[in-house]
Amino acid sequence: MKNIKIYSTPTCVYCKMAKEFFTKNNIPYEEFNVASDDRAREEMIQKSHQMGVPVIDIGGEIFVGFNRNEIARALGLTP
Amino acid sequence: MYDLIIIGGGPAACAAGVYAARKRLKTLLIAESFGGQSIVSADIQNWIGDNHISGFDLAKKLEGHVRSYSDILEIKSPELATGIRKIDREGGISDFEVITTVGKYEGKTIILAAGARRRKLGIPGESELDGRGVVYCSTCDAPLFKGKTVAVVGGGNAGLEAVQDLFPYATKIYLLEYGDVLKGDPVTQEHVRKNPKVEIILNAQTKEIIGKDFVEAMVYVDKKTGEEKKLPLGGVFVEIGSVPNSEMVKGLVDLDKYDQVIIDSKHGTTSVPGIFAAGDITDDPYKQNNISAGDAVKATLAAYAHLLDRSKKEELNA
Repeated sequence: MKNIKIYSTPTCVYCKMAKEFFTKNNIPYEEFNVASDDRAREEMIQKSHQMGVPVIDIGGEIFVGFNRNEIARALGLTP
Repeated sequence: MYDLIIIGGGPAACAAGVYAARKRLKTLLIAESFGGQSIVSADIQNWIGDNHISGFDLAKKLEGHVRSYSDILEIKSPELATGIRKIDREGGISDFEVITTVGKYEGKTIILAAGARRRKLGIPGESELDGRGVVYCSTCDAPLFKGKTVAVVGGGNAGLEAVQDLFPYATKIYLLEYGDVLKGDPVTQEHVRKNPKVEIILNAQTKEIIGKDFVEAMVYVDKKTGEEKKLPLGGVFVEIGSVPNSEMVKGLVDLDKYDQVIIDSKHGTTSVPGIFAAGDITDDPYKQNNISAGDAVKATLAAYAHLLDRSKKEELNA
């Protein structure tokens, strides 16, 4: 199983959608709230070279935003 | 062949879906996503029946309601409609073919409810720095601008709300408005004006966003004096309205100068019989969730009447 990290803010709906998608597919993930966690915020900007959430890290592969089909593909799920 | 093809997934499209299903029309709904533009709103306070509801929860409710009619209403989502073709049949009847990124579908009537998308500034630096300090979703990304000086462009309700989203994080917020007054609701204006972090700049025409890896500054022209000014910034929040998603019907139905679908608001009819429209894709002056839903109901009932007429014609032709 690939290691999954999501960098999010509490008010971001696309982050919520992504998390719901993981939960629905029984995929464990680690969440970092970049609104309160300064170190995670820096890490996210470094990894993605941008400042928008969500940023999803799937085993080192970085996705900006939540594109259901793209994420499903990276996880080897049928979209 | 469907009786009705609905294009869109916001309040207009979902309202149309519910009414079409209750009229037992064989319906296809093609949506890129559900919820419409207000999905990013943290707190909607004017959806009738709910004092407070988040855009996310409203989107869920709308989608759930439409999906409950799966016996008669088919849903293709995520799928994007890219074109519509009119097919003329004998006896003055026409059908329509909807082309999507995935396939083609034929319907006797169409409801255009594809809404609108965010308008961009169209100035140098904007697309280059998109996501790198240029922001189109303030509720999503405001927390990333902790301790920064930022600008919000647009003095309407969306702009004022972006300023409010930034209150807890940014140290200084410039609010730039092209006109000589703010257009947003007085209640929100008052709240924004009272915050000492906010500096309102009227008559400001944005010219360029500057930055290497991330936004560093923005240049604007003071329309009164013609003077060019540069604000050192860490972020630019763009909230200047929307553009209709009407590309798919360009050349088929009449559009106004803003590319909005021209409708007769009594029945939601367009210039092409059999094609109806509702919500933010239309030239209706008030872009509101409640209006989109109500107008789509009118369009659906009118489409139903059109189908009854059509079947009478078909009987006569037979």
